[in-house]
Amino acid sequence: MSETPATAEAIAQIITSFIATLKELPPESVTVASTFDELHMDSLDKINLSFEVEERFKISIPDDALNSLRTVGDVVAGVQRIQSGS
Amino acid sequence: MQIASVGTAFPPHRFTQAEVSAMLVSRWGDKLPEPRLLTRLHANCGVDTRHFVLPLDEYPKLHGFKQTNDRWIQAAVELGETAIIRALEPLGLTAADISAFFFASVTGIASPTIDARLLNRMPFPTDVKRTPIFGLGCVAGAAGISRASDYLRAFPKQFALLLSVELCSLTWQDDDQSVANLISTGLFGDGCAAVVLAGAEAVIPTRPAAMPTILATRSTFYRNTEHIMGWDIRDTGFRIVLSPDVPRIVLGNLNRDVDSFLAAQSLTLADIGSWIFHSGGPKVLEATETALSLPPDALALSWKSLREVGNLSAASVLCVLEDTMKQHPGKPGTYSILAAMGPAFCLELVLLRW
Repeated sequence: MSETPATAEAIAQIITSFIATLKELPPESVTVASTFDELHMDSLDKINLSFEVEERFKISIPDDALNSLRTVGDVVAGVQRIQSGS
Repeated sequence: MQIASVGTAFPPHRFTQAEVSAMLVSRWGDKLPEPRLLTRLHANCGVDTRHFVLPLDEYPKLHGFKQTNDRWIQAAVELGETAIIRALEPLGLTAADISAFFFASVTGIASPTIDARLLNRMPFPTDVKRTPIFGLGCVAGAAGISRASDYLRAFPKQFALLLSVELCSLTWQDDDQSVANLISTGLFGDGCAAVVLAGAEAVIPTRPAAMPTILATRSTFYRNTEHIMGWDIRDTGFRIVLSPDVPRIVLGNLNRDVDSFLAAQSLTLADIGSWIFHSGGPKVLEATETALSLPPDALALSWKSLREVGNLSAASVLCVLEDTMKQHPGKPGTYSILAAMGPAFCLELVLLRW
C-alpha cells in the first residue's frame, strides 16, 4: 500500500540530502536543477539513488527508467508521477 | 583509396536483454549481493537484443580458458568466413583478389591466427600479407581501416581486407561480480564484420552505389590512462577492466582532437555530414554528442546498432559503417568521420568523403 504522496519540496529534500552524502558534497551544492553529470554520478550512483528512492517512498521504479533522468528535478518529478499513479 | 564493401555475420542464438539478465541472476545466485543491481544495470545499457555463440544454458558448461578459447577459435573461423564472403561477393571479388589481410580481435587468441586458418578454407593467395592484431579492443575497427589504408597508399592497385571477430560472451568470468563485469555482461555482444578496401587504382568488377574515399586518418594516444579499459588476464581468461571515467575522457579530449584533425585537412566540424561512431554504450555516446555539440540523431545509427546487437567491440563501428553505406550514404562530395576509442586509452579518426 502506497504512503501519502509527498510534496515536491519534501521529495527534493530527501533526494538532495542522499546525493550530497553519497557524493560527499556540501548539501547546498545539490539542487533540483543539478544535473547528474555535474554531480559526477555514474550508473552505479544512479542505481543506488533509485534503490534509496524506492525504499524511502515505497514505490517501484521501472528498471529501464534511469537513462532518461538527467537532473535531480527529473527524479523528483518521476517520484510524484509514480505516487500519483500516472 | 576507398572502402568498397562491408559484410557482417552474427551467431544464430539471439536473446532479449531480459532473458540474459534472468539467466545471469539465476547462474550467479548467491554470488550477487543484490540481484536487482544486475537487472537494473542491464536495463540501462541501451541494449534490447544480442547474438551469442551459444544457447544461454550452454555457458555454465564451459570451464576454464582452454574450453572457452577453443570455442572462440571455432566460431571465429566460421563467422569470419561468412562475413568475408558477404563483403567480397557484391564486388565480384573472391579471396584470391586480396593482397593484405588485417585481422583484429580482443576476445580470444590463437596461433596460427584466425586469418591463417581462413587461408586454409578460402582461396586467398599464399603470398597474402597477414597482420593479426590483438589488444586494441574497441578501437581496432577504426584502427584496422587506418592501417589497411596506409598499406593501400603504398600499393594502390591492390585490395586489402579487414576482419574483426568479437565473441564477447566467451569472456564472461563466473567469479567476477564487480560492477564493471555486471555492466560488461549487459553491454557486449557477439558479432563479426569484414571490410574490403580498394587502392586508388584497383579495378572493382562490380562497383557499389556508395563507396566512401578515405582522405586521412589519425591515431591519438592518451598518456597514463592504462587503468581505464582493457583486460586483467587471469588463469580463467579475460577479466574486464572498465572505468566509469571513460565519458570524462571523451568530454575532455574528443572535441579538441577532432577539431585538430579536421583543421589539418582545412575542414571544421560544420563540414561533417555524418558520424560513424563505435557503439560504446549510452554514456559514451551521450558524452560524444555533448563533446562535439552534435545535433539530435547524429549518432542514430550507433544507438540503433547498440540496441539491436550490443557493443561488439572492434566490430561495432564496422556494423555502423555497413548500415551507413547500404542505407544512409552521404551525398557525393560530403564528408563523414568514422571513429572509435579503446584501451590505452586512445582514439582513432578516419575522414571519409562520399
